Amino acid sequence: MSAAPPDWLDPLPWLDLARAAGPSVVERSLRSSEPGIREFAALLSPAAASRMEALAQRALALTRRHFGRAISLYAPLYLSNYCPARCTYCGFSADLRIARHKLTPAELEAELSALKDLGIEEILLLTGDRAAVADYPYIRDCVRLAAARFPNVAVEVFPMSVDEYRGLSAAGCTAVTLYQETYDPARYEQSHLGGPKRDYHGRLDAPARALAGDIRVAGLGALLGLGEPLFDLIGLFQHATHLRRAFWKGGVAISFPRLRPEPGGYTAAFPVDQNFLAQAIFAFRICLPDVPLLLSTRESPRFRDGMAGVGISKMSVASRTTVGGYDLETVPSGPQFDINDHRGVAAFCAALEAKGLQPVFKNWDAAYREDTASVRAAQ
Amino acid sequence: MTEGLKLGDRVFSSRLLLGTGKFSSTDAMIRAVRASGAELVTVALRRFHPGRPVDDVLAPLAAIEGLMLVPNTSGARDAGEAVRAAQLGRELCGSPFVKLEIHPNPHHLLPDPIETFEAAKILVGEGFLVLPYMPADPVLARRLEDIGCAAVMPLGAAIGSGQGLTTMSMLKLIIRDASVPVIVDAGLRSPSEAALTMEIGGDAVLVNSAIAAAENPELMASAFAAAVRAGRDAWKAGLMPQSDAAAATSPLTAFLAGGEAG
Amino acid sequence: MNLVVNGEAYRHNGQSTIADLLRECRAEAGRTAVMVNGDIVPKSTFDMVRLSDGDHVELIMIAAGG
Repeated sequence: MSAAPPDWLDPLPWLDLARAAGPSVVERSLRSSEPGIREFAALLSPAAASRMEALAQRALALTRRHFGRAISLYAPLYLSNYCPARCTYCGFSADLRIARHKLTPAELEAELSALKDLGIEEILLLTGDRAAVADYPYIRDCVRLAAARFPNVAVEVFPMSVDEYRGLSAAGCTAVTLYQETYDPARYEQSHLGGPKRDYHGRLDAPARALAGDIRVAGLGALLGLGEPLFDLIGLFQHATHLRRAFWKGGVAISFPRLRPEPGGYTAAFPVDQNFLAQAIFAFRICLPDVPLLLSTRESPRFRDGMAGVGISKMSVASRTTVGGYDLETVPSGPQFDINDHRGVAAFCAALEAKGLQPVFKNWDAAYREDTASVRAAQ
Repeated sequence: MTEGLKLGDRVFSSRLLLGTGKFSSTDAMIRAVRASGAELVTVALRRFHPGRPVDDVLAPLAAIEGLMLVPNTSGARDAGEAVRAAQLGRELCGSPFVKLEIHPNPHHLLPDPIETFEAAKILVGEGFLVLPYMPADPVLARRLEDIGCAAVMPLGAAIGSGQGLTTMSMLKLIIRDASVPVIVDAGLRSPSEAALTMEIGGDAVLVNSAIAAAENPELMASAFAAAVRAGRDAWKAGLMPQSDAAAATSPLTAFLAGGEAG
Repeated sequence: MNLVVNGEAYRHNGQSTIADLLRECRAEAGRTAVMVNGDIVPKSTFDMVRLSDGDHVELIMIAAGG
């Protein structure tokens, strides 16, 4: 018997609106000065899809108001692809016979240097699900090494306890990203066949634990295409607003990973085309105007260029989804997912600047943070 | 959702609160309170001087059915004095409610955020239902809510200034993020401002000078009452959205044509 | 006995409980809060608490204002 989504999350009451809102409801939602769940659901509807340009214009205006013309840039760094979980959609699944690797401290330092040379100032450290060889202590130690050199270090790993999150925060971690993948418990159960990731509620509550554990930003997301998209997008919206209400000192950020057709790869049960992805991003920007919205290199150059500054405020660049991979000395392993935008930092920044956007690598200096100072002193 | 204003475990059907100061006479004040329909008024603490005539407000106020008297710590200049005043007020009014007001500067009478926070912490710990008068600061409002205040009372403008909702944008943020009632206090001059406060989602208003200093306080009190009801109804009815100025730029979605390729 | 009431010198000629003082001042016990030497005296104890020579007493009541 699957878990059930908690009441504050349950998308069910809003699905009709998302499926069938009429043009006048869409118009009111577009113009609302205090949009909430009703407006968000209406903006996902087919009637809203026929107003894409209007949605985009509103998204542009709100992105400019809250983020100026800046696009925050970061790069992902996979620390390890060891994984006990068996997720149907993932290139790291325990079922797959792939080369498994975990960065040693020396390899990590080499990767960090390579990233610094690229101009990157914010990194996202990733692993598979909780594995004995890459458990909390390993991640904490990697954070500490990274935080000595990067002002912003985020992690996207696996659900942890409040104390573990506190430990990461003390080591210099500023943000934790964890995608629920799908908010539909039945689809969740079907997609996660083994390992600790089968715990729907444990995963759902992890971002709250992170915010309670002194992590400043909780990054959320649903893997679009895995579950029914309207259900997952509404669930994601409710998750974000719930966390903001419960943790007023913390922030949330939202990413939009999308299952794309890959040769020999997993076929999405509910494929999301790029038009609907754009519509969803516009809807989030309009209804959560001050929340960072992230787009990765999973998407094509043309889509990324189109969405930059029009809803999207933060983007990864020059990504590798293999373990390591930035330092040419590291042995590459199989990627977690395929990248579609292979542009390097310079080329991507030029594209942003051509649109009148300013690439921003660093927002604030870690020298203000007491823990980083003590890390430096300890070295 | 309860319709009334919920403070602690009490529910009030009137969302207009009155201060009882600055009227020309006790009689004028009582008539204004009755005309306003207010169910909660704030009162001050004063020394009783032996041998001097007493202007008793307690008896005529107590005679108004359903009216709750809440002591105000106005006059206190720091947390210690405010706590003492609150304790005295509880002795006198017998209710756990206290309007916490600490303004050390007698010229502008703006509330001291630090002393207010300190006093609120102590008073909540002693079982008071604290209604803190505060600057219209959204972060302070959340901090006061977090430590257990029963409401927050951000100012519209300095006491008695009649400058209206000078803190409008901050009030909207406070209202948006609050889980306790937001009672806008101080600075209102006209019933339309009270209506506007309710239209933007405020839970109640506290008015004193605007009524006491009006030419006809009794009539002004009933005007404020009507305005608060109108503003509340307007908020419940859902105001129509304002239209956005259209931005004339080239199409933003052209890049989506042509499908997934590229 | 000699007291300081509300900051002013006051000569009390009664039995020296708080209730006596209030009666002497014509203050209503139910409508007056009392502090002696900085401490609030609960009204239920007005008949029992005795004043001493030199005590500082504050008598507080509700008034219009606030």
